[in-house]
Amino acid sequence: MNLTLKVLPQGRSIQVRKNTVLIEALHEAGVDLISFCNKQGLCGKCFVEIMKGKRPEPGAQEKWLLARKRLPGNFRLACLYRMTGDLTVRIPEEATLPLMPVLKRGFRRVIQPNPAVRKIVFAPFRPDLASPLSLSDQIRAHFPRPGKKASPALLKDLAVLLDDSYGTATAVIYDGAEILDFEAADTAEQNFGIAIDLGTTTLVAELVNLNTGKTIDVVTALNGQARFGADVISRITAVFQDPLKSEALRTAVLDSLKAMIEGMLKKHRIPVHHVYEVVLAGNTAMNHLFLGSPVKTLAVSPYHAVFSALPPLPASETGLLMNPRGKVYVAPNIRSFVGGDIAAGLAATDLAHQKGNFLFIDLGTNGEIVLKKGRQFTATSTAAGPAFEGMNISCGMLAVPGAVYKAEFRDRLKVMTIGNRPALGICGTGLIDLISLYLERGVISPQGHIQGGEKTISLGHNLFLSQKDIREVQLAAAAVKTGIRLLLSLDKLAVADLDGIYVAGAFGNYLNIPNSMRLGLLPRLDKKKIIFVGNSSLAGAKALLVSTQERARCERLAQKIRHVALATDTAFLKTFIEALEFRAWT
Amino acid sequence: MTKDDLFNDMARAIVEGDRHAAEALAKEALSRNLDLHEVVEKGYIAGIQKVGDLWERGDYFLPELITSAECMKAAMAVLRPALERARIADLSLGKVVIGTIEGDIHDIGKNLVASMLSANGFEVSDLGADVKLERFIQSALDMKADFICLSALLTTTMLGQRRFMELLKERGLRSQFKVLVGGAPVNQKWADSIGADGYAENAPAAVKLAKSLRGKR
Repeated sequence: MNLTLKVLPQGRSIQVRKNTVLIEALHEAGVDLISFCNKQGLCGKCFVEIMKGKRPEPGAQEKWLLARKRLPGNFRLACLYRMTGDLTVRIPEEATLPLMPVLKRGFRRVIQPNPAVRKIVFAPFRPDLASPLSLSDQIRAHFPRPGKKASPALLKDLAVLLDDSYGTATAVIYDGAEILDFEAADTAEQNFGIAIDLGTTTLVAELVNLNTGKTIDVVTALNGQARFGADVISRITAVFQDPLKSEALRTAVLDSLKAMIEGMLKKHRIPVHHVYEVVLAGNTAMNHLFLGSPVKTLAVSPYHAVFSALPPLPASETGLLMNPRGKVYVAPNIRSFVGGDIAAGLAATDLAHQKGNFLFIDLGTNGEIVLKKGRQFTATSTAAGPAFEGMNISCGMLAVPGAVYKAEFRDRLKVMTIGNRPALGICGTGLIDLISLYLERGVISPQGHIQGGEKTISLGHNLFLSQKDIREVQLAAAAVKTGIRLLLSLDKLAVADLDGIYVAGAFGNYLNIPNSMRLGLLPRLDKKKIIFVGNSSLAGAKALLVSTQERARCERLAQKIRHVALATDTAFLKTFIEALEFRAWT
Repeated sequence: MTKDDLFNDMARAIVEGDRHAAEALAKEALSRNLDLHEVVEKGYIAGIQKVGDLWERGDYFLPELITSAECMKAAMAVLRPALERARIADLSLGKVVIGTIEGDIHDIGKNLVASMLSANGFEVSDLGADVKLERFIQSALDMKADFICLSALLTTTMLGQRRFMELLKERGLRSQFKVLVGGAPVNQKWADSIGADGYAENAPAAVKLAKSLRGKR
């Protein structure tokens, strides 16, 4: 039996089968309701207002969430609501996915362009009647270096495009070794590539002129895979339970990327076929899901990957929107939990060519930490959980417009929001500021306990911090702290031995250094030695796109990095428990 | 010091995580030849229960929990020889086999549950992490366990909890043990759907749950 679901404020009506879960029906209809808990009724992000229809008694957790969010009694969690009759719901603005995450550009170094894709203009000659040279022999005469001969399909195209005129033509050569394509006339100037940060939550694509290395445009979008789960593990689980989902996940991210690339190319009037190379950098699981590789082994001990470094792949095999004869290069994964995004980040900072000892920290759901001691690199990952991305936090949200990203105390609490919009929630950097401020004022104890009888701290704007929120931040910060401590102790380095700390990831320049140090999230070091590199995964992808030297270096580095697993370290538990206290490093 | 004062001090030593005091008070109880059953129940267990309450109220967090559990362990170590001599076996609340399920190496949460159960008077056999389903069953049979506690920190390995329930049924052993499940991705709904006897969100909740299920069938 079909039921009618009316969705406000759009006013659309959808036919839904009985017993469908409301959030599934809404996702099916393209309403991108947020769920950070994999539709388990835990995160409280998918509350919708039931305007007309049944309102089943809420469960204990749902009741508690309703009270905490001070929502009227006619709100229900869409992920727990089973359709048993016709229904009219209103979707609150904050319950749908923000369309445009805020773009954060970080530090960029100048890289001499030396792209894999080269366009060489040549003038085919009319073969001599006495001894007419075949097209393939003529190509060999023009391009003696490429080892691989032009394929029959390419020669066929060349024959068509020369069309008896024997005018100017352009050959597209890859890595000096392979002819990818022929184009009519002189198209040497039209040499474009795209660098992509394949983020779990956010995708960023950068259109680059490969001849000059200059960026033409950057666009961001949310990863369409989010509807299969907010985090990597739940996406892997989706495939685990139903192997057919692997293709669905691949298609989801391809669709997101297609829309981004299409929009960008249209805007700059660049034909799709002029994009011959795309470089992607993502964590190991995202890289696997993008190629449709099996991910099962990534989530079960001993947690190994299917691939680390791959040769450039034929574009046609990946399904990306670009010239199908082009190439797709995926930044090499270091290990299962330290992926190509980190390898790219190291390339972006050129850490391997700097003298001294450095930390590279990428703060996200999975905190990746790399320690460089002299010429030796050690990497680890630490499960920080999604608190820094605003998830599992009562009033938490991603760093998108309306998010409190910064807070100060001047007589009273002052919060700043992204885009100067009315405050909708708190993102990671805002959380760090707020907790640090209240810690300084003794409202929160170093043990993380909210002092006095109240269990919440009211922040105005209908926002608050709960005791549980602070516990989540303690856990996240402790995971990062533990990772740094164990890496330093493994290499017998003290904080004072560090020449600098590179901070990459979603936080960007918003992270307040003194506040982070007060919580112990970052070791105490001269402020000048903390370098924010923003989205280093994207910057690295671009470096790998623009320069084949960078690519070779990155692959060598990824091979030689030592990897340690924290969970098997006997000191882990003790260090972690000690790190739960909010305290500056001593 | 009256007996009640002594008990209060014991409870306070546990709540405040004062290991020296917890041990010294245990020695004093021995030298005064007090009823050890009473010492444990009214002194130390009362303290660890208070710790559970403080956790529930949000006042205490993992470090406090661990310190208190360690104090409890230290005090019990002092009392153990005497307890055994006096054959006070009925202090055990039940036997528990606990471990993180195969494929999963995360064990902080599981360790906490194990030490809180133990601090509260359960006999706990901790099998560690990445434990084969078969081993849970064998160990539970060997020690005649009352409870089997399965931890899983990943949504992938969580599926092993369901397989365990099926395996238990296949072997015709389902009614012999109470199965409790936990771990970050686990919730009551999941526990119900796989037919486990209970779910606990954290270590103090696991203690409460195990106590409430004791002796029930």
